[in-house]
Amino acid sequence: MSETTRQLRFEIFRYNPEDADSEPHTDVFELEETPFMTLYIALNQIREKFDPGLQFDFACRSAICGSCAMMVNGRPALACRTLTSDLPDKICLYPLPVFKLIGDLSVDTGTWFRAMVERTEAWIHERLPFDPDATEERMSDDIAAAIYENDRCIECGCCVAACGAANIDSAFLAGAGLNRIARFQMDPRDQRTDADWFEVLASEQGVFACIGMMACEDVCPKELPLLDVYGYLRRKSLATALSSREK
Amino acid sequence: MTSKLVTTDVLVIGGGLAGERCAIEAATAGHEALILSLVPPRRSHSCAAQGGMQASLANCVKAEGDSPTVHFLDTVRGSDWGADQEVANIFAEEAPVAVRELAHYGVPWSRVRGGKNHYFIKGEEVDIDEPLENDGLIGQRDFGGTAKWRACYAAAGTGHAALYAVDSEVVRLGIEVRDRVEAVALIHDGSRCLGAVARCLRTGAHFAVMAKATVIATGGYGRIYGQYTTNATINEGTGASIALDTGIVPLGNMEAVQFHPTALSPSGILVTEGCRGDGGYLLDKNLERFMVEREPQKQELASRDVVSRHMAEVMRGGDGVESPYGPHLWLDIRHLGEEHLRTKLLEVWDICRDFVGRNPAEELIPVRPTQHYSMGGVRVNKDGQAYGLGGLFAVGEAACWDMHGFNRLGGNSLAETLVSGRIVGRRVAEYVSGYELRADTGIALDALKAAEQRAAAWLARSGNGPSVYEIRDAMGETMMHKVGIFRTGEELTEAVAELGQLLDDCDNAVLRSKDPGLNPELAFAMRLRGMLRLAMTVAKGALARTESRGAHFRTDFPVRNDSDWLNRTLVRWGMDEGMPTFSYESTGLIDLPPGHRGYGSDERIEMTTTLDDYNKNVLADQIRHGRLDSDEEMGSRLRRGAWKTATG
Amino acid sequence: MTQTLVTSAKRQLAHEIISGGTGLVLALFMWGHVVLVGSILTGERGFNWMATFLEDYYIAQPTVVAIFTLFLVHAVFAARKIPAQLRERKRIADLAKGLKKSGREKVATRTAHSPFRPHLESMLWIWQVRTGMIMLVLGSFHLILLGMDVFTPLFGDIVGIESSTSMARVGAGLWLPYAILLLCVEFHASVGLYRLAIKWGADLWMSRKTMHRIEQVIFWLILVIGGLTLTVLAGWVEPPLAFLLDGAAP
Ligand SMILES: Cc1cc2nc3c(=O)[nH]c(=O)nc-3n(C[C@H](O)[C@H](O)[C@H](O)COP(=O)(O)OP(=O)(O)OC[C@H]3O[C@@H](n4cnc5c(N)ncnc54)[C@H](O)[C@@H]3O)c2cc1C
Ligand code: HEM
Ligand code: HEM
Ligand code: SF4
Ligand code: F3S
Ligand code: FES
Repeated sequence: MSETTRQLRFEIFRYNPEDADSEPHTDVFELEETPFMTLYIALNQIREKFDPGLQFDFACRSAICGSCAMMVNGRPALACRTLTSDLPDKICLYPLPVFKLIGDLSVDTGTWFRAMVERTEAWIHERLPFDPDATEERMSDDIAAAIYENDRCIECGCCVAACGAANIDSAFLAGAGLNRIARFQMDPRDQRTDADWFEVLASEQGVFACIGMMACEDVCPKELPLLDVYGYLRRKSLATALSSREK
Repeated sequence: MTSKLVTTDVLVIGGGLAGERCAIEAATAGHEALILSLVPPRRSHSCAAQGGMQASLANCVKAEGDSPTVHFLDTVRGSDWGADQEVANIFAEEAPVAVRELAHYGVPWSRVRGGKNHYFIKGEEVDIDEPLENDGLIGQRDFGGTAKWRACYAAAGTGHAALYAVDSEVVRLGIEVRDRVEAVALIHDGSRCLGAVARCLRTGAHFAVMAKATVIATGGYGRIYGQYTTNATINEGTGASIALDTGIVPLGNMEAVQFHPTALSPSGILVTEGCRGDGGYLLDKNLERFMVEREPQKQELASRDVVSRHMAEVMRGGDGVESPYGPHLWLDIRHLGEEHLRTKLLEVWDICRDFVGRNPAEELIPVRPTQHYSMGGVRVNKDGQAYGLGGLFAVGEAACWDMHGFNRLGGNSLAETLVSGRIVGRRVAEYVSGYELRADTGIALDALKAAEQRAAAWLARSGNGPSVYEIRDAMGETMMHKVGIFRTGEELTEAVAELGQLLDDCDNAVLRSKDPGLNPELAFAMRLRGMLRLAMTVAKGALARTESRGAHFRTDFPVRNDSDWLNRTLVRWGMDEGMPTFSYESTGLIDLPPGHRGYGSDERIEMTTTLDDYNKNVLADQIRHGRLDSDEEMGSRLRRGAWKTATG
Repeated sequence: MTQTLVTSAKRQLAHEIISGGTGLVLALFMWGHVVLVGSILTGERGFNWMATFLEDYYIAQPTVVAIFTLFLVHAVFAARKIPAQLRERKRIADLAKGLKKSGREKVATRTAHSPFRPHLESMLWIWQVRTGMIMLVLGSFHLILLGMDVFTPLFGDIVGIESSTSMARVGAGLWLPYAILLLCVEFHASVGLYRLAIKWGADLWMSRKTMHRIEQVIFWLILVIGGLTLTVLAGWVEPPLAFLLDGAAP
């Protein structure tokens, strides 16, 4: 813990689309740093002490729900788990790009992610109807663990916001979407064929829209191995295309 | 913006596991469903559940001999006989189905590994050979208050995996979800619920939703404990509070509030019970285990109320670790090893790193008991039908279905959301079939106008009254320190007075921001009164209940009193009434006679009536208290006497 | 397996393979190029011998045509990823700079997972586009020049490449565009190979960190050899490896 308390200077993007008089600008607030202060604590203090109109989103405040991603000094991060002690005195907060702005630091990630789930049809396909009396189908713990690894995405949108390709085309599936594809593709319960997958993952907004900027993996708060996922999907689509040739 | 009046068949308020599972059932039956949620559904607090979901699959060695009956027993004992035993039995019987259904939806449950497995049991390393024929079945881990290993889990992200799978199903079925929308009032005509008034949290605009059936699935209300809760910031109890506002629908057992033994100090972020289930233990400031001596049988894995109380006592006795934020104790999981922590308890690993900068494989974790779960909620019958208002249902943590009684077992609540979601969803679907939507738009528009006026009144009020945030903080302090783990008549009386004062303050509070649109301060202000009212029902209910049962512990009445208090608290409080009205209904049909829980104190005051006499009155008594007819007759799903064979 | 694949998706795959494949071949060619042109380091004799050899056996002529074609094809297919609008390009640049700047802070290094916290790769991509554009100009010029050299007697005394003409034009001032071209191509190629490896998942057998190291080593190695070659071509220093051919027949 630091010996002398720091005075933190927050520069926060402000714009309220519901207010006809509002213009995009930044406001500056100063706060005294306290031990274990996170941006969750800091932003609430700012709202409660200085500007009750300040909009931002938190729900779980424990880095699990994905509500609170924002640009922290130029980098997308979960505000609730960002300790101010890891930041310089000057902290610049902007809303995530790509997503529709709701107001100040709050953006509409829900709509983007629902659309992503719809486009990738991110559910188990073509199952037999559920039989309540049957015991569960078996699955090896290794496969379960591997699926879980990719299932951990919390839909925070950091990878989307950090990606140059997504910043140009917001429909690009980006890290979260491609990861979701891989998660279902490796699930033995999902009956989709390689050809079904090929259409989704090689589509114009699929894996080939990725230009390898690698920022997605570097900002993912859940440390998902996104680059491995893209490699897997690229190889998979190549293999599918090749094998579809030889009839 | 969208129109001011929306209609649908089934309105589900809340997009957590319970609400979504219920909507799926209604939609599958061919009804139109609309889900409202404060946040995108996947951000609901269900996603935060880590440890597991109880279901007696009995797939691993330490679960052998488990059955719904044993699960039933654990649940009723855990509840300190506060549960409705029929509901507990329905629950225990259907939980395995719910878990398997989730596997069907795609949850990557951790599986049994046939062959040698390395476990920690009560701090000892144990090798167990899992039979090869069980390889690949859904695995179980140990949780507090259970006789067998029963918690099914997906690493330490069970709620996340379950919620994502269920929400995917919602998307697959094309169920409409409106996120960033808050239900702010129920629309009703005194006997039937017609829908709800909602506020859009993007624009601040109000609109009315008219539905044939309305389901409250808004989760817990932990935030009435201010910052002393593991709950998300959105768990402000608005669902329970709009039901209370009707003055017709009662809330049940509001004083039954669970404290979780291991929340991080000071942030209140939960560290799952799975840590202790997997062999972690608690240490005092001298780095000594205190649970071994205090609960030789179950040690760290006694039920939550018991462990929390022991921890509170240890800290009171001066053996807590001092910190600027008050005393705490240590959770030790170092011996589980990095490999285990980074796979089976990965979320715990992350939380320790992110919020206290510690590596749990090498360092101790600072923990203290913190508000965690709301056993109380909208009182419903076994179909999920709310007392008093036809067409109003409640499920999940928001409801008092009542399988938890005065203490919920870890892992029982995820299972409840899905089991009750399935059952109540089916009942809702039946209810809606053959029911014409009454186009009573007059009532809806009146309710809409009233809500708009409430918002306008907040904005109009000026002067230098207190800020809503000050009131919130004061409420949290009062609740934690005077309506907390240990309660006394004296402190509760003070709490009631303080909350009364805060309610007055709330009427004089002034907003600092008059911004148009969402206005977060206004959004919070509109919830604050409801939160204070809930807090008041908790405090007054606790004051009135002069016994100790489950999580409700009165130092001035330290024993369970089955003679006078084998009942459920009901509270009604119309929006314009000065104080809440309490009444007490029979707990439900009793099959397993009240006895010792197997942990904690064995002292109690015995029932004075016979079980038969008690049971005879239950139905009439509950109907008198507002219970509406259930689909099947009362008691039809109680398997009388089955527990006798299970205990052996 | 018989499957019908949607054409638009197949087209995406084909484009990716074309731009990546041409990039790969061009990058590998440039390694060869270093050796070939680097033969000047052994003196004019070595250089001429190499040139004559390649031309007499008709290796050089088709190569020039092939490389020029690949070069253009690559430019066309890779360029479709370059944002068309200036606004979009600026957005990427701002984003990358923001990521990079913030990367210096501690928050960035908290996660053990990824080694490159100062966000390099986004910046590298932007420079790949920039160097690509420069190469389109300078490279085309160079290829046309060499094309004429190989196929026509316009330059020098013979049809084909010879040290005297090369040295003369480099010394006369072409060294400057060549130096720029050299920097661009080595940067573009090494980063391109690194990116290509990541994209297709070479990190299955090598960590991203290792790959990045290798990329840097290749970049500097080839840049130094190329730079030396250029100074020799310009006639500013004597061929350092001339001793190798001492005593060899003229
Ligand atoms: C940290 C933590 C860990 C837990 N771990 C476990 C565990 O391991 N095992 C276990 O069994 N249980 C666990 N629990 C308990 C369990 O997670 C919850 O009880 C359960 O998920 C509640 O689900 P729900 O669907 O009832 O409510 P929630 O998931 O809380 O959903 C409530 C929904 O209602 C919406 N909502 C609320 N108010 C309104 C309104 N006014 N208008 C519109 N929408 C509204 C919200 O947006 C949300 O979508 C845990 C709880 C916590 C806090
Ligand atoms: C004519 C000028 C050139 C232009 C405009 C150009 C442009 C580009 C662009 C924009 C990319 C990124 C494509 C993507 O991310 O998908 C790229 C990639 C690449 N370029 Fe070039 N380039 C040129 C010349 C060259 C040359 C001469 C070489 C070889 C030395 C080369 C090698 C590569 C490689 C290996 C890649 C990586 C391919 C990939 O990531 O898919 N390029 N080029
Ligand atoms: C088959 C095609 C090519 C041939 C035959 C060829 C040949 C030559 C020759 C003879 C030189 C010596 C200088 C001169 O005579 O002007 C040279 C230098 C050079 N060439 Fe090429 N070249 C080819 C393709 C390319 C390409 C595609 C690039 C990059 C885009 C390139 C980049 C350079 C550079 C940078 C130099 C400077 C010398 C150095 O530092 O290596 N060349 N080339
Ligand atoms: S992949 Fe990572 S960064 Fe992207 S949304 Fe998921 S958790 Fe967030
Ligand atoms: S940042 Fe974007 S371009 Fe690809 S590697 Fe990541 S998706
Ligand atoms: S508030 Fe849930 S991730 Fe930050």
